[in-house]
Amino acid sequence: MKFEPTIVAFLCNWCTYAGADLAGTSRFQYPANVRIVRVMCSSRINPAFIVNAFLEGADGVLVSGCHPGECHYINGNFMARRRFVLLKRFLEHLGIHPDRFKMSWVSASEAGKWTEVVKDITDAVKILGPNKIKREQVWMQQSL
Amino acid sequence: MDATKPLRNIAREILSRDDVACLIGYEKGSYGFRVAPCVLKDPDQADRLVFSPLCVHNLTNYLTLENIGPLAQKDGDADKIAIVVKACDSRALAVLMAEKGIDREKVVVIGVCSSGVVDLKKLEKRFPNAVENTEVVRRNGAFSVMYQGETVEVPAEELLSAKCMRCKNRLPVVYDELVGEPDEAPGDEFADVRESEARSVEEKFEKWHSELEKCIRCYACRNICPLCYCSDCALDRLNPQLIRRSVNYQENLLFHMTRAFHLAGRCIDCGECERVCPQDIPLMELNRKLAKDVKELYDYEPGVDPEAKALFATFRPEDPDEGIM
Repeated sequence: MKFEPTIVAFLCNWCTYAGADLAGTSRFQYPANVRIVRVMCSSRINPAFIVNAFLEGADGVLVSGCHPGECHYINGNFMARRRFVLLKRFLEHLGIHPDRFKMSWVSASEAGKWTEVVKDITDAVKILGPNKIKREQVWMQQSL
Repeated sequence: MDATKPLRNIAREILSRDDVACLIGYEKGSYGFRVAPCVLKDPDQADRLVFSPLCVHNLTNYLTLENIGPLAQKDGDADKIAIVVKACDSRALAVLMAEKGIDREKVVVIGVCSSGVVDLKKLEKRFPNAVENTEVVRRNGAFSVMYQGETVEVPAEELLSAKCMRCKNRLPVVYDELVGEPDEAPGDEFADVRESEARSVEEKFEKWHSELEKCIRCYACRNICPLCYCSDCALDRLNPQLIRRSVNYQENLLFHMTRAFHLAGRCIDCGECERVCPQDIPLMELNRKLAKDVKELYDYEPGVDPEAKALFATFRPEDPDEGIM
């Protein structure tokens, strides 16, 4: 069977979630591998959420928010940027391939960019194959 | 240079002040190469203090633990705590002050210029089973170790702890009293981090898989850390539970990733977490990687300026957009 990755996407309520919504209403086609978690701001995302998503069986994690300077909460995405640029390098140090974790800026009107971002990470993760750091009980549930 | 004598004099003076409740310093330990932290309350006790290359502990941890143990019994107006710090420990103080974790007015800082402490693991490997309490003295480029009645000279590089070989500044950042004079620090080029960065992702995965699997989750690394002082720790919480209690590679990865990331832009390279680790996990490699990236990406160095804002509490619009689509 062909490997279909699971991508967990944390999307900011004000920009990327609306952008993904627009992609849906505009009938843009994009991979159905992405599972969306809506959060109020990209800076609401704790780095532990990312690793937890990997442990729960995600093959890739996407964090997406408003473009710099367009945050609904004025500077939340600037804070998030510092955190996740650093986290990406740190995850690589721990042995999690940098292609598995991605960050993007997608505004509410950029449905086209959203489909590009999803295609991009899905293709990258497909090449990498299944994630090796799943929690063991997750493996057991899948083999049942 | 022997710092013990001037340190005792200063300590005696400080302990006789009315506004100082106690002094935290080092005293002779019970056996072998041990030096133990001590809390002194009386000027007469000042002669118990020692300072030698064996004083590896970072005592600033006690300042945020002030409500437990002997520090709890403070009386009336005597509300200041005096503390002996090395240069690296003083950087922890600077971060604590910047975060308003401690009140500078309530602390009397005795800075001691140390020219490097020993690595106890290296020392005990070379001189095993030292029972009687012995001493190590720094003489220029060498340590002279008293071992089983003899004095052995060992070149400094063979015993010096790793953090001292890459020390950035031997002069304490904050101090009220200074003992000794700082010698030149070797400086830090992050050579060790660059070396580990050169490995492939698979090699890194294998390395940390085997290292983190060893972890028994004793939480010693968190408890010893002078900068892990939140009373409500994310690693302990049950609701929401970020980290499960099982001890396996997966949960340990989450634990160590969270712990190290909470110290990003805060870790001052005192190396205490690695020293106390009963499983010898190279925890500083995690902290050092973050320190290097923080320096590289944001030109930020913790513990240099007691007034500086925390790394993640600030931003610059021109921060790098590395890898962001």
